[in-house]
Amino acid sequence: MRRIDRTSLVAGLAITVTGVLLLLDRLDAIDVRFGYGLPLLIAVVGVILLAAGLEGRRDRG
Amino acid sequence: MAAMSASTAAPLRRDPAHGVIAGVAAGIARRFGVDPIVVRVLFVATSAAGGAGLALYMLAWAIMGGEDGKLAPIERLAGRRETLMVVAGMVLLAIAALLLLRKWGFWLSDAVVWPVLLAAAGGALIWHQSTAAEEPAPAAPLTAPAERVAPRTLRLPADVASRALVGAALVVGAALVFLWLNDALRPARDVLLAVVVVLVAATLILAPWWLRLVRGLSTERAERIRSQERAEVAAHLHDSVLQTLALMQRRVDDPREVAALARRQERELRAWLNGRRAAGDDTVASALEGAAAEVEEAHGVPVEVVAVGDAPLDPRAEALVAAAREALVNAAKFAGDGPVSLYAEVAPGRIEVFVRDRGPGFDPAAVPDDRRGVRESIVGRMERHGGHATVHTAPGGGTEVELVLER
Repeated sequence: MRRIDRTSLVAGLAITVTGVLLLLDRLDAIDVRFGYGLPLLIAVVGVILLAAGLEGRRDRG
Repeated sequence: MAAMSASTAAPLRRDPAHGVIAGVAAGIARRFGVDPIVVRVLFVATSAAGGAGLALYMLAWAIMGGEDGKLAPIERLAGRRETLMVVAGMVLLAIAALLLLRKWGFWLSDAVVWPVLLAAAGGALIWHQSTAAEEPAPAAPLTAPAERVAPRTLRLPADVASRALVGAALVVGAALVFLWLNDALRPARDVLLAVVVVLVAATLILAPWWLRLVRGLSTERAERIRSQERAEVAAHLHDSVLQTLALMQRRVDDPREVAALARRQERELRAWLNGRRAAGDDTVASALEGAAAEVEEAHGVPVEVVAVGDAPLDPRAEALVAAAREALVNAAKFAGDGPVSLYAEVAPGRIEVFVRDRGPGFDPAAVPDDRRGVRESIVGRMERHGGHATVHTAPGGGTEVELVLER
């Protein structure tokens, strides 16, 4: 059975959530301003890095 | 005073048994001898004022070890290729949380919070590295040169020094950012520019000499290490192979004895090449007794051994035992049939060994240069391992070899 790559899963989810939020902003459903957008972007990159690092550690035992 | 003695006694470790969340505040309070509630109030107050307390708590949790020698989270990650990614991810998440707090108004001022966080990170790194440098160094290998086995030199490992340097840079950077944001650098700008220009010019001029000096020092150090290793090998060969060959020549009329000597020397040489130690020689006293028994058997001279105290046999103590063995061999060879005595006193901070014989004695100044026994195998060996050897002798007055190793 093929093993799930958690890094790709987390990265995909994080980018999808970001995309949905930006789409909702475009449709005027919500209002994403720079004050919230920048922390969101930084947090997404942080989560992806964290997931990749922890996944690498798990693989190496 | 009480706080000072507590700070030197208790290590900075988390104390989950007395903590509310992860034992960070309790650990810091125990380290400085204050009530944990004081530290908790400080964390809560600074968290409410811009979130700095929260970030500091997370930082402290990451770098503080737990009870019973448990490693800090950051130490558990250390040495892995993924460490950088995990640390970068945590830093980015912390920055995102701080930006949100700033957006929601839980904020003091940019001119205060960012420099404080930067300085705290740098200070924590320096503090962590300085406490890591106090950990005792692991025992050196059997054939390590004296430079590597001397444990009392104040020399930080390269990785510790570089991380401490990064910490210092962060603290200095934080101070500069704080001054710049508060517009305190304007008067110093012209002076600073002149200093930077002069520094750059001086670096360009002096860099070639500095590089040459560094390379020269490295070459000299490598040469010194090679020379010490050569001396160690030469001393060992003198004490083992050369001594056995001399014995074999003396007993050439007894083929069984010659064969036994050759077998024993082969075993000893193989064990030395493979870094193995003779069975049972785990302490200083047992190793000295083993050496005395070997000399007694090989030379047929009675050796009386008295050992007071004992200690595990580390590489430096092994060198002392080897020097004592060589002193016993000399006594057995040159002191006639009279008994040879070995007295050892092993104390926690010092080992002293005395090898005495009632032989004719000798004049140390008259020993030819090509004789290595006393000069290299005893005196040189002890000095290479941080001890010293003294030979008390005079023609007609017997000989006493005194070996001292401070631990």
